[in-house]
Amino acid sequence: MQVSKRQFLKGVGALLAGASFYGVTRSPQADSTQAAEATPEIKYAMVHDENACIGCNACIDACREVNHVPDGVSRVKIERSGPFGEYPEQSYRFSRVSCQHCEAAPCVRVCPTGAAYIDKATGIVAVNSDRCVGCQYCIAACPYQVRYIHPETRTADKCDFCQKSRLAKGLEPACVEACPTKALTFGNLKDPESDLVKLLKAKPSYRAKVDLGTRPKLFHIQTIDGEIML
Amino acid sequence: MSAFHFEGLVWHWPIAIYLFLAGLSAGAVFFAIMLKHFKLAHEAWHSPFVQAAAIIAPVAVFGGLGILVFDLTRPLDFWKILVFYNTTSVMSMGVLVLMAYQLVLFAWIACVFQRRITQLLGKRLPIVQRLLNWLVKQEAAITGILVILAISLGAYTGFLLSALIGFPLLNNPVLPLLFLISGLSSGAAATLLGGVLLRGNPNGVEVRFIHGIEIPLILVEIGLLFTFFAGLILSGGQSQVAALNALGFGFWGWIFWAGVIGIGLTLPLAFNLWMKVSADRKFAYVAVTASFSLIGVFLLRNFILYTGQMTGT
Repeated sequence: MQVSKRQFLKGVGALLAGASFYGVTRSPQADSTQAAEATPEIKYAMVHDENACIGCNACIDACREVNHVPDGVSRVKIERSGPFGEYPEQSYRFSRVSCQHCEAAPCVRVCPTGAAYIDKATGIVAVNSDRCVGCQYCIAACPYQVRYIHPETRTADKCDFCQKSRLAKGLEPACVEACPTKALTFGNLKDPESDLVKLLKAKPSYRAKVDLGTRPKLFHIQTIDGEIML
Repeated sequence: MSAFHFEGLVWHWPIAIYLFLAGLSAGAVFFAIMLKHFKLAHEAWHSPFVQAAAIIAPVAVFGGLGILVFDLTRPLDFWKILVFYNTTSVMSMGVLVLMAYQLVLFAWIACVFQRRITQLLGKRLPIVQRLLNWLVKQEAAITGILVILAISLGAYTGFLLSALIGFPLLNNPVLPLLFLISGLSSGAAATLLGGVLLRGNPNGVEVRFIHGIEIPLILVEIGLLFTFFAGLILSGGQSQVAALNALGFGFWGWIFWAGVIGIGLTLPLAFNLWMKVSADRKFAYVAVTASFSLIGVFLLRNFILYTGQMTGT
């Protein structure tokens, strides 16, 4: 077989032409990971104050009811660690595990169909279940492990800050309203007058796994009781 | 913690089989092209080894894709992956590579077996004849593109997993290279096994040629495996935990040391070196070496997939 230089270049040229065509057919929703769009006025975020949380799981139950989440899966979990200290001065620590609504969401980046996307108007990481084929790439890619396959729709599902249920009616997410100790604060990061921004400016907070570059929007205020751990 | 069921496990063994078959297909095509280009030229079409590769490559890639589709939670919606694209998604780009690969693969097979197909057709279907003649004129370009696509496909099986940033063992830059090289060696093994099963001469020029490439390939694979795990251990933190957890005692440790290193790499290497000095290669030598190689690569895919998902960041 003789490979002439011209024939090879022709082949490479065809490949490049093909490659540039893919750019036209890609899904537009997935662009939001790297696009520098005009700054939207709303960017929703949440703060979980671990000092106030008592681990009652009212948030989980409220979420299940409002968003019709079936048994066996959950959009939000409260992880308990401890007990710390000597009886009777014992305490537990509680940490909320749910979608972090990352600015650079790994799930959005890996989704082959663009079913996982960032809602540009609100910054909410959402799922377009009509597009989801259930490849579970997003579930494997999420470092916070908060995604699951909804047993009824057979598509990927997770917390969307009640975007389709309560937020659409102008109400706060179900978990925030249900919390008896007001441990959860929901609001607009872009609004300096919001309770959320005031709280974040008043108390030191942390976010999980920031070293992965995900830029999550679920903030935690660390509990100060209990013991020091290495 | 059980070996096949643990918290955080998302992708199960069907994905490992898919990764194995995609790499095997790419490897078989790669070696068939090398055989034709360097050794057989216009005689390629009646070599049992090229014939075996021409059967194995499409069957493996179809089988792999079939498994992938049935592993979706909504298999009937698989067409959406073909219609909607996301340039940042390794899976989406891999689907594009897979589609182009299959198309060019069939074009290449048509080129190689053009004379045979023409004989079979006789005077029927002149359109097919004309298409074949046109394809044969483009053979150089088709071959070049197919080599690029086969290597892309082999590497893609690794990039698919290395894009998972939450698992340090998978999110590793050496993984795509490791999967590419082990995929190529599995393709070589499948071509050899298929060739001798199709009554190819186990002492023929094809076997000697492929074995000549296989030894360096195995050595490179051992080097890559060493770099893979040494890199993880030196990174410290969860990377180190993941590596030691995978290589230590327990089910997957055994799979790695006995299956991947022992059966998959050491024994074929020993057999290959031995066969080089002995004058005659027999059917059993070729078949057993190839089978061991295939088992090793298959176990490596499962080992990486499962142990990779055991330890998160």
